[in-house]
Amino acid sequence: MSLISPSDQDKLREAFNEMKSNVRLLFFTQTLGCETCLQTRQILDELPPLSSKISIEEVNLVLEGDKAKQYGVDRVPAIAVLGEHQDSRVRFLGTPAGYEFISLIQAVLLVGGRPPGLTEANRKRLAAVNTPLTLQVFTTPT
Amino acid sequence: MAFVSPNITAFAVEATEFPDLARKYQVSGVPKTVVAGNGVQVEILGALPQDAFVDQALSMLSAAPSEPEPQTKG
Repeated sequence: MSLISPSDQDKLREAFNEMKSNVRLLFFTQTLGCETCLQTRQILDELPPLSSKISIEEVNLVLEGDKAKQYGVDRVPAIAVLGEHQDSRVRFLGTPAGYEFISLIQAVLLVGGRPPGLTEANRKRLAAVNTPLTLQVFTTPT
Repeated sequence: MAFVSPNITAFAVEATEFPDLARKYQVSGVPKTVVAGNGVQVEILGALPQDAFVDQALSMLSAAPSEPEPQTKG
Protein backbone atom coordinates (compact mmCIF):
# COMPACT_ATOMS: atom_id res chain seq x y z
CA MET A 1 0.00 0.00 0.00
CA SER A 2 1.23 3.43 -0.84
CA LEU A 3 2.26 5.87 1.88
CA ILE A 4 1.13 8.78 -0.29
CA SER A 5 -2.59 9.25 -0.96
CA PRO A 6 -3.76 9.04 -4.60
CA SER A 7 -4.61 12.76 -4.66
CA ASP A 8 -1.18 13.70 -3.31
CA GLN A 9 0.40 11.39 -5.87
CA ASP A 10 -1.43 13.32 -8.59
CA LYS A 11 -0.16 16.64 -7.21
CA LEU A 12 3.40 15.34 -7.04
CA ARG A 13 3.22 13.91 -10.55
CA GLU A 14 2.07 17.29 -11.82
CA ALA A 15 4.85 19.13 -9.95
CA PHE A 16 7.50 16.66 -11.18
CA ASN A 17 6.28 17.16 -14.74
CA GLU A 18 7.89 20.60 -14.68
CA MET A 19 11.32 19.13 -14.00
CA LYS A 20 13.82 19.82 -16.74
CA SER A 21 16.64 17.58 -15.62
CA ASN A 22 17.17 14.31 -13.80
CA VAL A 23 17.60 14.12 -10.04
CA ARG A 24 19.41 11.31 -8.24
CA LEU A 25 18.70 10.65 -4.60
CA LEU A 26 21.55 8.89 -2.83
CA PHE A 27 20.08 6.98 0.06
CA PHE A 28 22.61 6.21 2.81
CA THR A 29 21.69 3.25 4.95
CA GLN A 30 23.08 0.36 6.94
CA THR A 31 21.78 -3.15 7.50
CA LEU A 32 21.88 -3.23 11.27
CA GLY A 33 21.18 -0.64 13.93
CA CYS A 34 19.07 1.76 11.89
CA GLU A 35 15.48 1.84 13.09
CA THR A 36 14.21 4.32 10.54
CA CYS A 37 16.16 3.26 7.42
CA LEU A 38 13.40 0.96 6.19
CA GLN A 39 10.73 3.64 6.52
CA THR A 40 12.95 6.14 4.73
CA ARG A 41 13.55 3.70 1.89
CA GLN A 42 9.78 3.10 1.62
CA ILE A 43 9.13 6.84 1.34
CA LEU A 44 11.87 7.27 -1.28
CA ASP A 45 10.59 4.30 -3.30
CA GLU A 46 7.31 6.16 -3.79
CA LEU A 47 8.99 8.87 -5.87
CA PRO A 48 10.48 7.21 -9.01
CA PRO A 49 7.06 5.80 -10.07
CA LEU A 50 5.79 9.41 -10.12
CA SER A 51 8.55 10.73 -12.39
CA SER A 52 10.98 9.12 -14.79
CA LYS A 53 13.41 11.91 -13.89
CA ILE A 54 13.88 10.71 -10.31
CA SER A 55 16.10 7.79 -9.39
CA ILE A 56 17.28 6.29 -6.12
CA GLU A 57 20.72 4.82 -5.44
CA GLU A 58 21.54 3.08 -2.21
CA VAL A 59 24.83 3.56 -0.41
CA ASN A 60 25.74 1.36 2.53
CA LEU A 61 27.42 3.46 5.21
CA VAL A 62 29.40 0.47 6.53
CA LEU A 63 30.42 -1.12 3.24
CA GLU A 64 30.87 2.12 1.29
CA GLY A 65 32.20 4.38 4.00
CA ASP A 66 34.47 6.26 1.61
CA LYS A 67 31.57 7.20 -0.61
CA ALA A 68 29.54 8.36 2.38
CA LYS A 69 32.49 10.46 3.54
CA GLN A 70 32.73 12.02 0.11
CA TYR A 71 29.20 13.33 0.61
CA GLY A 72 29.80 14.38 4.22
CA VAL A 73 27.46 11.72 5.57
CA ASP A 74 28.38 9.92 8.80
CA ARG A 75 24.99 8.73 10.04
CA VAL A 76 21.89 7.08 8.67
CA PRO A 77 19.30 7.33 7.30
CA ALA A 78 20.55 10.16 5.11
CA ILE A 79 19.77 11.43 1.64
CA ALA A 80 21.95 13.44 -0.73
CA VAL A 81 20.15 15.27 -3.53
CA LEU A 82 22.20 15.20 -6.73
CA GLY A 83 21.64 16.74 -10.11
CA GLU A 84 22.49 15.07 -13.37
CA HIS A 85 26.04 16.37 -13.38
CA GLN A 86 26.45 18.13 -10.07
CA ASP A 87 25.94 17.73 -6.36
CA SER A 88 23.42 20.19 -4.93
CA ARG A 89 25.11 19.85 -1.51
CA VAL A 90 21.66 19.45 0.03
CA ARG A 91 21.39 16.61 2.55
CA PHE A 92 18.64 15.21 4.71
CA LEU A 93 19.43 13.39 7.93
CA GLY A 94 16.61 11.28 9.32
CA THR A 95 13.26 10.16 7.95
CA PRO A 96 11.79 12.64 5.45
CA ALA A 97 8.29 12.55 6.95
CA GLY A 98 5.93 15.43 7.75
CA TYR A 99 7.39 18.82 6.83
CA GLU A 100 10.67 17.18 5.94
CA PHE A 101 8.92 15.38 3.12
CA ILE A 102 7.79 18.74 1.70
CA SER A 103 11.36 20.03 2.03
CA LEU A 104 12.68 16.98 0.21
CA ILE A 105 10.19 17.47 -2.63
CA GLN A 106 11.17 21.14 -2.86
CA ALA A 107 14.83 20.17 -3.04
CA VAL A 108 14.07 17.67 -5.81
CA LEU A 109 12.16 20.32 -7.79
CA LEU A 110 14.94 22.87 -7.28
CA VAL A 111 17.63 20.51 -8.49
CA GLY A 112 15.30 19.44 -11.29
CA GLY A 113 15.21 22.97 -12.65
CA ARG A 114 12.80 25.09 -10.63
CA PRO A 115 14.28 28.58 -10.09
CA PRO A 116 15.57 29.16 -6.53
CA GLY A 117 13.29 31.23 -4.30
CA LEU A 118 16.20 33.50 -3.39
CA THR A 119 16.23 37.10 -4.53
CA GLU A 120 18.81 38.04 -7.14
CA ALA A 121 20.71 40.10 -4.55
CA ASN A 122 20.89 37.21 -2.07
CA ARG A 123 21.88 34.81 -4.82
CA LYS A 124 24.84 37.04 -5.67
CA ARG A 125 25.87 37.37 -2.02
CA LEU A 126 25.78 33.59 -1.58
CA ALA A 127 27.56 32.85 -4.82
CA ALA A 128 30.39 35.09 -3.63
CA VAL A 129 30.99 33.07 -0.45
CA ASN A 130 34.55 31.81 -0.70
CA THR A 131 34.80 29.96 2.62
CA PRO A 132 33.23 26.53 3.11
CA LEU A 133 30.09 26.92 5.23
CA THR A 134 27.90 24.18 6.67
CA LEU A 135 24.29 24.85 7.55
CA GLN A 136 22.46 22.45 9.81
CA VAL A 137 18.74 23.08 10.03
CA PHE A 138 17.17 21.20 12.94
CA THR A 139 13.53 20.28 12.60
CA THR A 140 11.00 17.85 14.04
CA PRO A 141 8.56 15.69 12.07
CA THR A 142 5.36 17.68 12.77
CA MET B 1 21.49 28.43 -0.42
CA ALA B 2 23.66 25.36 -0.99
CA PHE B 3 22.26 25.10 -4.47
CA VAL B 4 23.49 28.55 -5.49
CA SER B 5 26.82 28.50 -3.67
CA PRO B 6 29.48 25.85 -4.31
CA ASN B 7 30.96 26.52 -0.87
CA ILE B 8 27.77 25.91 1.08
CA THR B 9 26.52 22.51 2.22
CA ALA B 10 23.10 22.27 3.88
CA PHE B 11 21.85 19.51 6.15
CA ALA B 12 18.22 19.19 7.21
CA VAL B 13 18.48 17.27 10.47
CA GLU B 14 15.57 15.46 12.04
CA ALA B 15 16.29 16.37 15.66
CA THR B 16 14.36 13.57 17.38
CA GLU B 17 16.19 10.89 15.39
CA PHE B 18 19.60 12.30 16.24
CA PRO B 19 19.41 13.36 19.89
CA ASP B 20 23.21 13.45 20.07
CA LEU B 21 23.32 16.24 17.49
CA ALA B 22 20.37 18.01 19.10
CA ARG B 23 22.21 17.92 22.44
CA LYS B 24 25.50 18.99 20.93
CA TYR B 25 23.91 22.09 19.42
CA GLN B 26 21.51 22.62 22.33
CA VAL B 27 18.40 22.45 20.21
CA SER B 28 15.45 23.31 22.43
CA GLY B 29 13.14 24.62 19.72
CA VAL B 30 12.79 24.20 15.99
CA PRO B 31 13.62 25.32 13.46
CA LYS B 32 17.12 26.05 14.65
CA THR B 33 19.91 26.57 12.17
CA VAL B 34 23.58 26.25 13.04
CA VAL B 35 25.94 27.79 10.52
CA ALA B 36 29.59 26.80 10.83
CA GLY B 37 32.65 27.73 8.87
CA ASN B 38 35.99 29.45 9.12
CA GLY B 39 36.23 28.40 12.76
CA VAL B 40 33.14 30.41 13.69
CA GLN B 41 29.63 29.29 14.48
CA VAL B 42 26.36 31.24 14.49
CA GLU B 43 22.91 30.09 15.50
CA ILE B 44 19.70 31.23 13.90
CA LEU B 45 16.54 30.63 15.90
CA GLY B 46 13.18 30.29 14.23
CA ALA B 47 12.21 31.03 10.67
CA LEU B 48 13.38 34.44 9.51
CA PRO B 49 12.57 36.49 6.42
CA GLN B 50 15.01 35.65 3.64
CA ASP B 51 17.16 38.81 3.84
CA ALA B 52 17.54 38.51 7.62
CA PHE B 53 18.37 34.81 7.35
CA VAL B 54 21.09 35.40 4.74
CA ASP B 55 22.43 38.35 6.79
CA GLN B 56 22.78 36.15 9.87
CA ALA B 57 24.13 33.15 8.01
CA LEU B 58 26.85 35.24 6.39
CA SER B 59 27.54 37.43 9.44
CA MET B 60 30.34 35.09 10.48
CA LEU B 61 32.31 35.88 7.36
CA SER B 62 32.76 39.51 8.30
CA ALA B 63 33.21 38.59 11.98
CA ALA B 64 35.99 36.11 11.29
CA PRO B 65 39.37 37.84 11.59
CA SER B 66 41.38 35.11 9.92
CA GLU B 67 40.05 35.55 6.41
CA PRO B 68 39.21 39.11 5.44
CA GLU B 69 36.90 39.63 2.48
CA PRO B 70 38.92 39.98 -0.70
CA GLN B 71 39.01 43.54 -1.94
CA THR B 72 37.79 44.12 -5.43
CA LYS B 73 39.45 46.97 -7.24
CA GLY B 74 37.08 49.23 -9.10
